[in-house]
Amino acid sequence: MPAQTILFLAVLLLMSGLLQIVPGLTRPDIFFAVTVSPEFHGTSDARRILRKYRAIVWCSALAAIALELAAGMELAALLLQAAGFLWALVGAHASALAYAAAPGSVVEVDLAAPRERLPGGPIVAALPVLSLFALAIWATLHLDSLPERFPVHWGIHGADRWVTTTRTSIFGYLAVHACVCLLLVGLAWGLLNWSRRISTTGAGAAAERRFRMRIVQLLIVTAYLLTAPAWLAMFHVSSAAIDIWGLAMAAVIGAFVVAVMRSGQGGSRAVVNTGSALLGDRTPDACWKWGIVYINPSDPSILIEKRFGVGYTLNFGNRWTWVVLALLIVPLAAGLIFLR
Amino acid sequence: MILRIDLKSPVPVYRQIVDAVRILLVDGELHPGDSLPPVRRLALDLGVHFNTVAEAYRTLEEEGWLEIGRRSGARVVPRAVSKRYDPETGEAFERRLREIVAEVQARGLSRNRIARELRRLAEALERS
Repeated sequence: MPAQTILFLAVLLLMSGLLQIVPGLTRPDIFFAVTVSPEFHGTSDARRILRKYRAIVWCSALAAIALELAAGMELAALLLQAAGFLWALVGAHASALAYAAAPGSVVEVDLAAPRERLPGGPIVAALPVLSLFALAIWATLHLDSLPERFPVHWGIHGADRWVTTTRTSIFGYLAVHACVCLLLVGLAWGLLNWSRRISTTGAGAAAERRFRMRIVQLLIVTAYLLTAPAWLAMFHVSSAAIDIWGLAMAAVIGAFVVAVMRSGQGGSRAVVNTGSALLGDRTPDACWKWGIVYINPSDPSILIEKRFGVGYTLNFGNRWTWVVLALLIVPLAAGLIFLR
Repeated sequence: MILRIDLKSPVPVYRQIVDAVRILLVDGELHPGDSLPPVRRLALDLGVHFNTVAEAYRTLEEEGWLEIGRRSGARVVPRAVSKRYDPETGEAFERRLREIVAEVQARGLSRNRIARELRRLAEALERS
């Protein structure tokens, strides 16, 4: 069996494994994106819904593996697994709605809660972009001494895509990196300033603050790591350096996955009692379409805690969300056009 | 220092914020020099529109409790209590107290419980 096929099958199995455990990472009063009482998770009804969801996830994974082995259709196999997952999730969400608990109408906020700031301050967050700016100036001053072409993409066997060194190509390449770094730093800032804190008191609030800060740190560290290929490309370092960079990226992402699995959504697994008697995550069940898409025009938050999975999603009912989305799509589109 | 509001209450949210913050100020939980969360932060955490919180802060500023700076946010300031007796204020207080008592009585709260709460409040006022 070719190494690429083995790698692909491993990815499919890893994805299924993650989808198996994701329902257990949500807050205790959320079940398949529906507000429930925390005791509901232990009932036979909850276990039945969970069993059905997992059965569909693994059946679709097995079907995807069979498709890959029989016909070698990677894209079709991926789509099959994704469709199976969506079917399982939408079905589980619809079943869980029958057991929905009415979330309380009382909202509480700790007026003395510490203000959240970017780790190290705005200068540390802006440094990746500033370093790319410095690199652009350096490259302009040393254009004649640069090699005729520089790498813009690396695969398993090293650099596999190159572009001719011109002022436009250098600025284009560095601009793409700068846009992606800006996006990551902007998301980190947005998480601290455009998203709601749910737990207000006690250990729950402290765990949530740690969880939020961990995500912000991940975004900032990723921005730093993403500047590395630009520097490596300009200075034509050996492929071993790229390998080390790849390992560093994998280590950071791996450490983050382990950390969030231990803490759960919003740090809810880190504490037995969240410190609040209020039910739910302060978003109405009716605003969650299929349990994954949040649309609430009256909610001022742009980023909102996911109800299925760990991390944050966008409030598509807020008009500013579309501005953020445009900022996200433009650098990606520009990058794709440039790399082609 | 918890601020609680009820999104289903017939009392407007901005009024609930004003009332809750004023209780914290009068009870001495908020002192001159303390900062309140910025408008945007409090609105996000409560899940209400920015203007609702801004209006509540403006009302508290007009009453002399807060000072609102463009960059520093809302800050509690020392407030001189008027020593002059205003008969209208006294009448309004009495009317509102009667309304509240009648309302909670209509919603099933016992007379003993209401009397106990009023006594507790009166004792706290005398102590302060």
